Amino acid sequence: MRIKRTPGLVFQPQTHHALRSGIHQFASAIRPTLGPIARTVAIDQIVKPGATPEVLDSGGVIARRIIELADSNQDVGAMLMRALVCRQHDLVGDGAATTAVLFQAIYNQGLRYLAAGGNATRLRAALDRALPVILSELDRMTFFVEGKERLGHIAQSICHDADMAALMGEIFDIIGEHGQLDIRQDQGRGLRRDYVEGAYWNGGLFSRAMVADAAAGRTDFENAALFLCDFEVKEARDLFPIFEAAIDANVGALVIVIRSLSDQAMSLVVAANKPEKLKVMAVKLPGLNPVDRQAALEDLAVLTGATPLLTAAGDQTRGTTPAHFGRARRVWADLRNFGILSGRGNPRALRQHLLNLEENFRRTSDPDLRAKLQPRIGRLWGGSATLWVGGSTKLEIEARKAVAERTAGTLRAAVREGVLPGGGMALLNCRSALDTLRPDDADERAAYRTLHEALAEPARAIFENAGYDASEVLAKLSFEPSNCGFDVLSGQVVDVCEAGILDSAAVLKSAVRSAVTTASLALSIDVLVHHRKPEAMSQPG
Amino acid sequence: MMNDFDQLQAQDTVYALAAGPGGIVFAGRASGLYRSSDGGASWQDAYQSLKPEQALVTTAVVIAADGSVFAGVNGGVLRSSDGGFAWFAASLGSPPPLVTALAISPHFEVDGTMLAGTAEDGVFFSTDRGQHWISSNFRLIDLNVYSLALSPDFARDQTALVGTETGLFRSTNGGRAWRSIPFPDEAGPVLSLAISPNFARDGRVFAGTESAGLFTSTDRGDTWAQIAADNLTRAVNQMAFAGERLWLLLDDDLLRSDDLGASWQSATPPAADGPMWMALTVLPGERGHVLVGSGSGDILRAG
Repeated sequence: MRIKRTPGLVFQPQTHHALRSGIHQFASAIRPTLGPIARTVAIDQIVKPGATPEVLDSGGVIARRIIELADSNQDVGAMLMRALVCRQHDLVGDGAATTAVLFQAIYNQGLRYLAAGGNATRLRAALDRALPVILSELDRMTFFVEGKERLGHIAQSICHDADMAALMGEIFDIIGEHGQLDIRQDQGRGLRRDYVEGAYWNGGLFSRAMVADAAAGRTDFENAALFLCDFEVKEARDLFPIFEAAIDANVGALVIVIRSLSDQAMSLVVAANKPEKLKVMAVKLPGLNPVDRQAALEDLAVLTGATPLLTAAGDQTRGTTPAHFGRARRVWADLRNFGILSGRGNPRALRQHLLNLEENFRRTSDPDLRAKLQPRIGRLWGGSATLWVGGSTKLEIEARKAVAERTAGTLRAAVREGVLPGGGMALLNCRSALDTLRPDDADERAAYRTLHEALAEPARAIFENAGYDASEVLAKLSFEPSNCGFDVLSGQVVDVCEAGILDSAAVLKSAVRSAVTTASLALSIDVLVHHRKPEAMSQPG
Repeated sequence: MMNDFDQLQAQDTVYALAAGPGGIVFAGRASGLYRSSDGGASWQDAYQSLKPEQALVTTAVVIAADGSVFAGVNGGVLRSSDGGFAWFAASLGSPPPLVTALAISPHFEVDGTMLAGTAEDGVFFSTDRGQHWISSNFRLIDLNVYSLALSPDFARDQTALVGTETGLFRSTNGGRAWRSIPFPDEAGPVLSLAISPNFARDGRVFAGTESAGLFTSTDRGDTWAQIAADNLTRAVNQMAFAGERLWLLLDDDLLRSDDLGASWQSATPPAADGPMWMALTVLPGERGHVLVGSGSGDILRAG
């Protein structure tokens, strides 16, 4: 699609009208996907015009597919929301539709106040001040769940796939919030899962000649000593001190974890492997950069009790002593990975190391750092799971895998940061906290009123999407205790927590935070400026 | 009837005792497993049918409600379904783990579930009455297991506790995965655990440590408080509930409490040259009596 842009400036009241219309169009495309009885959205194939349309039920994916609106003024509003919704989807994997619905409701309510003569900047400040009230109320309501059934309920609300939800509940009940989970495509039609005990890293054997069990394609050592370093060994003789130290220590099986080996050094390792005397294998030190390699060495050292030798510290292999070796009950390696079971490091040191990593994870909000810390913690926790996703067609498998990945991300956040009453009830219940505040300032009052109305909107959308009269249901709920909500599947008023209708606290808090701050910013926009842009072919974002 | 017990050498450490109904008692020792059918008055070699070439050091023993007997040895768990005469071995894999503790589900007849703690390889569990064992160490970051306990309401709450060198772990999914629970850093190792028979109601757990005495929790292990008492400053080697009465085996003392640890009375049996007490079992049907075993090989009735 080629869209021509006209440069120029747009002022009020067209700015508000255009933004409102763009936001409305974008939100209307996502709103039907909210709730357990969600509707779907069909989208033309962008790359292959004329092909079967994509049928989507994920607000985040739908947002990604909407690239541009025809009207350049309305497009500003739509793209503002797109950025917000995509960020929510990328960061926490869910809550895109809730974010969109909240954003639109706050914007529309705010506009009414501005139309009545309110001040946008003061309203924005008041909204920003009201946000902590809602977040602290959500914090108060947050609780943690254990058990595969309850976790399965949360998974069900994300993936709407009973088989997948049951498996996800079981997996996260076992691996925990930081556990390693690989989601892979399978040849079969269904879903299955495997669990692997111990820690494993990418970085397998240096040579096929080190594979002891050709049929299994791997080598297993029992009661092994581990030598850790970040050296690039070119001369075979540099390995002699390691072998000598191993013989001195009466080691029966030696695993050398090293950054690289020359062909000559590799040959020596293969030649030195004498199963009756000293079994030897060499595996690649994991990590593509010095920081990752350092992290892997740290984790391996704590797990096995080894003292790594480091290039940066000026260490050389000739300083190797038996005291440098770590120990493990079992070590395995294939050509891609190596793993350790029952490392013999000091358990107190391992506990402390894990506490430090978990603390760093909690403190940082940098998603890249979190993405690196999480697998480190998961590995040291001593186990991982693989979910194999099958299907009838390649397309179905890919789609189901994407849903599994999204569900896993949200469930992980739910285990880590707790859950809240679902079905829109947590946000509805936040309104009582706003009601207790009685500000004298008109802008504050307007902000609270705006949020009070907006907080009901996700519940309203869930009820409408399921085919109920939202006003009627909300009226019914107003006579019920705060722990009760409306189960759209059964059509009954139930205790939502008892019924397992739960939302991830991390997802909901992120949605509220993003929607309030972005909507308050959008309300302060007075002028649109369009630049002259070269005509360009639109590409999916 | 041959009485092998009389032939035991001195220093034949008693690692574990287990008592069943009808006066049946098993004693796991450095020299093997011994069976008594008269409440510990006389003993016979329970491994007679196995004819082991070397002594099978037996570090844990339990009796299930259906009369099956399980004995923990180096590398596996032996099971007998005829009261300790014929034995079948189940391996725990290689390298062979040393079993340090065994625990049986209170609903064993229905779920066939058991857990085995090991010295270096964490926890194994079996759901087929001890025939096959699977390593179960997800999130168990300390694999040096000293003690194990299952909730009396295990069928419903799936709760198990593990005492290790550095503290405590709890599972709420039947031993499939573990979570470290807050326990004073300096207090480990946790040598013994006892869960209240009213755990579902009172959430009470006791943890006995090597160097910091006894701790208790009333919230299923979430928080712990040390029980301050002059006579509770030594290693707490074993604990057992007999109804509401809690028995506590210290290195050189046997204590009992009828008020959940608020007060203690000594019930130490008289023994020569101050033995180190290591094993304890409650004699069923005899609320006031227990058997205790020592590092030097004594087994005495107390109460």
